[in-house]
Amino acid sequence: MVKMENNKLPRQVYTFLKEKGIREQDVLYTAQTDLNAEGEFADGYLVLTKDVLGIIQAPAAEDRVHSFRGSSLLKAELTEDTVYEEDAQEPDREEWSAQFVEIDRLERLWIENGVGCNLLVGKWEDREHCLTMFTHLQKRSLAKLTRGIEQMKRGGSPDFDAEADEYCPKCGRMYPDRARRVCPNCMDKHNVFFRVFRYFKPYRVNFVIMMATIAVTALLNLIWPYLNGNILYNKVLAKDPEFLSGIGLKPDSFVTALLMLVLAMVATKLVLLLFGILQGVLTARMVIGVVRDLKKDIFRKMGQLSISFYRSRQTGGLMTRVLSDANRITGFFVDDAPFFLVHALTMVATIVVMFAMNPWMALIAVVMLPILFGLNRYLRPRIWVMFGRRHRAERSMNSLINDNLTGSRVVKSFGQEKKEIQRFEGSSRRLKEAEIAISYRQNWFQLVYGGARELASMAIWALGVYFIMSGSGEEMQLGTLITFVGYVGQLQGPMNFFARIPNRWADSMNSAQRIFEIIDAVPEVLEAQKPRRLEQPEGDIELDNVTFGYEVNRPVLKDVNLHIPAGSMVGIVGRSGAGKTTLVNLISRMYDVQEGEIRIDGIPIRELSFNDLRRNVAMVSQETYIFMGTVAENIAYANQGADLKEIMRAAKLAGAHEFIMRMPDGYDTRIGSSGRELSGGERQRISIARAILANPKILILDEATASVDTETERVIQKALNYLVQGRTTISIAHRLSTLRDADYLVVIDHGKVTEQGTHQELFALKGTYYKLQELQTKALQLKGEIGG
Amino acid sequence: MSGTGVGHGPEGPGGHGPGGPGGRGQGGPKGPGGRGPGAGEFEDFQLSQMEKETEEMLRVRYLNDENAVFERTGTGFLSLRVGEEFYPRVVVVRMFPFSDKDEFISIRTAEERSREIGIVEKMSQVSGETARMLEEQLTLRYFTPVIEKIIKIKDEYGFAYWNVVTDHGACNFTIRMGGNSVIHLSDVRILIMDIDENRFEIPDINRLTPAERKKLDLFL
Ligand SMILES: Nc1ncnc2c1ncn2[C@@H]1O[C@H](COP(=O)(O)OP(=O)(O)OP(=O)(O)O)[C@@H](O)[C@H]1O
Ligand SMILES: [Mg+2]
Repeated sequence: MVKMENNKLPRQVYTFLKEKGIREQDVLYTAQTDLNAEGEFADGYLVLTKDVLGIIQAPAAEDRVHSFRGSSLLKAELTEDTVYEEDAQEPDREEWSAQFVEIDRLERLWIENGVGCNLLVGKWEDREHCLTMFTHLQKRSLAKLTRGIEQMKRGGSPDFDAEADEYCPKCGRMYPDRARRVCPNCMDKHNVFFRVFRYFKPYRVNFVIMMATIAVTALLNLIWPYLNGNILYNKVLAKDPEFLSGIGLKPDSFVTALLMLVLAMVATKLVLLLFGILQGVLTARMVIGVVRDLKKDIFRKMGQLSISFYRSRQTGGLMTRVLSDANRITGFFVDDAPFFLVHALTMVATIVVMFAMNPWMALIAVVMLPILFGLNRYLRPRIWVMFGRRHRAERSMNSLINDNLTGSRVVKSFGQEKKEIQRFEGSSRRLKEAEIAISYRQNWFQLVYGGARELASMAIWALGVYFIMSGSGEEMQLGTLITFVGYVGQLQGPMNFFARIPNRWADSMNSAQRIFEIIDAVPEVLEAQKPRRLEQPEGDIELDNVTFGYEVNRPVLKDVNLHIPAGSMVGIVGRSGAGKTTLVNLISRMYDVQEGEIRIDGIPIRELSFNDLRRNVAMVSQETYIFMGTVAENIAYANQGADLKEIMRAAKLAGAHEFIMRMPDGYDTRIGSSGRELSGGERQRISIARAILANPKILILDEATASVDTETERVIQKALNYLVQGRTTISIAHRLSTLRDADYLVVIDHGKVTEQGTHQELFALKGTYYKLQELQTKALQLKGEIGG
Repeated sequence: MSGTGVGHGPEGPGGHGPGGPGGRGQGGPKGPGGRGPGAGEFEDFQLSQMEKETEEMLRVRYLNDENAVFERTGTGFLSLRVGEEFYPRVVVVRMFPFSDKDEFISIRTAEERSREIGIVEKMSQVSGETARMLEEQLTLRYFTPVIEKIIKIKDEYGFAYWNVVTDHGACNFTIRMGGNSVIHLSDVRILIMDIDENRFEIPDINRLTPAERKKLDLFL
């Protein structure tokens, strides 16, 4: 856990190595470990030269802070009474133990993943040795070590390329997404702001009008207390002759003046009301438009992103988050941003007016302001925590309900209604508690904050009354006081606004950033810069030393070599989980291989244009998917232009025609969610029809007929036989009878091709295929024997 | 359980390689085909072999001091002798790591696709030395610091940074917010997974101080 720079170990280690006869310049790669065999934190160092692997183990170090990935930021902030590595003494190498393993002797070196701890295991002289142990923190660098040694043993030179930084160089925060390298703290918020602003561009007239109405509203709000207090009480009711003549009335016509004032006040309120409505309408129009435009961009992008993008984020959560992000952004731009200037101006103007009216009272008001402001800033986050809690309680209740609705059949069939009700009660109790906590907090907030506010306004009243009574302030009259208090109240709005604006700003900019992250995301599976076309493909597929794993250190396919000649039909068999689906996913480029290459007609698929690849490779996958829509629409999914006759023909070939015709609305029956339910086999046949209609050069069937009865399967196979003419077909099946027409077969086991050849060849080999075949043909017999 | 137990014909334990070497390195197309007698015999043999394997998959074998001998290999692992079978290295795995960590311990072969050799039903049913040996292996595999004190939790931009004291000393770690990083094993027991999937546990939140629980509020 010592901080490493360019994979450098502490000086002591090199001194230690020198004593053991290893020179620093011979070191190719170093890594660290952090556990010992007793399961305690302990430093360890791995050193690789071209001849040996050195494993150094220091004694346990439990009295030190152990920092896992991403926590360096916190480390800088905390100065508790804990000892950090930097402050710790140089390790004492007297107590170190070391083991050196010659690379030549080492047969194999690998990592075994535990739950909280991984082992580095080496094998030599037919024995497996546990070399060292480490947490997941160190896994990446050790995986690199094992890969490097593997490369060395194969006679190549290891590549220990440096990894990309995962911390923001400015503030040390970890990038939320290592691939994107955007620091949420240091990102250019202004840039994001203006980018969002562009979405408002089509509505600029709207926006300008809105700003204008807001400004007018603010102005009128500023005038209101003046009319209501100063003018009403001090001028009109006090029959101030100067005032009357000032507005061009006769000195005694104060009734007219009163009428005019009332009219003016009514007009003011009316304008305020009208503008309020206008603002509402403009806002609604703009929000809907902007959110729609944002979502449109997002959906467009989502279609292009690769599967692993979705796998690394939960899709359901992703969608709701995107939608709420979009709403939050527009909320900020519509509800907050336009008011910024207005509130700032109102605040300044109000304070100036207040000082002009009575400096002493204004001073009190101005002193009270920061106190109230601080109180507001301090108390509110606590309420937000509560809101977060309620949100989580709500979410968990919703997912419970969802679970119960989708799984209602299982619940009922096992008679678990009572237990589910109990679960629900627990969940709804938690929601209730969260609600209660919120209202408790809110009341408390009201009490404290409201109390402080009342106190402030009372102080102003008291001072005002004192001024009036003592007559010291000549300007102070009842009307002035009322106006003044009105202004103090007027300050509340801007104050609340400024108390919450920093959070709203940060939140909305983060939301915006997240959305732009999706809009800007670079798909992991990328189309080549200058894609090569594949207009008239032969359908010849070649896999060359293909290695692939969903996780870095767990290859699912290892060094797979395979050649599937154009026009042939190949069957793939193997145990469940052997990697069959993975293999075909690579051919259709749902994922990119980690090592090796896949070629179609001799062209690496990385260089092919997506359009051509997708058009020429169609897959019926293990998990069928039926879209919302009619049967016909579902079949024509990949070929929108197909006419009804073609759709019908495809359905016939897929053995789907008959059951479709038995449905009341035939090809126009609505299926998919909210539509009619189909059986597993029926869904599969629709999927096959879809692939047939797509008319690809390479057809991949992944357990495409697994849920179909043998008789129907036979029909589909006949149809396929007729169809596969001049087409390359890869068919995966557990039921070997499905593959009886295959030209040859490939057996995959543990991610490797273990056998390949024709039926006869494999049968004669007496390996896995033979075993499977025997098992299936003699299954019944076998069952009888066991039973007896 | 009929007499299919052990050492069947020429294949013996090597057939499905408890020693590990069979499963890993070689494989290859010619692997299994190489050995074995003539075709006719072979067919019969394969069948009974398959039968045996199926039966073995269904069988539950409990290991205890009478039928099993565990030994340290001196290379950091355990070996196991059950009757005539010998496994130079076994892997020890809990079946119910959360609900009952000292019961139902599965003893497995060390291949990549490991197979269950037997089950130790209760740790208390084996001798102290055996239990200690198994415990050593389990401690490593399930390394999970237990949080005793929460000093600080800071959440920011989608991550929460924790500073805690555990039974293995003070730790700083980072979790992703909003995902499934905090798992409620029961009403009071929490499992926390950091961004690398390192695990931390709070066995009973009621044993924390109110101030510490308040810091946890974000996740409860
Ligand atoms: N998206 C994924 N992320 C992580 N691991 C995966 C993923 N998909 C599959 N795996 C793992 O990869 C291995 C191979 O899976 P694959 O789907 O290729 O098996 P398969 O041969 O098609 O099995 P089956 O016959 O059951 O369909 C399995 O161990 C599986 O758990
Ligand atoms: Mg599959």
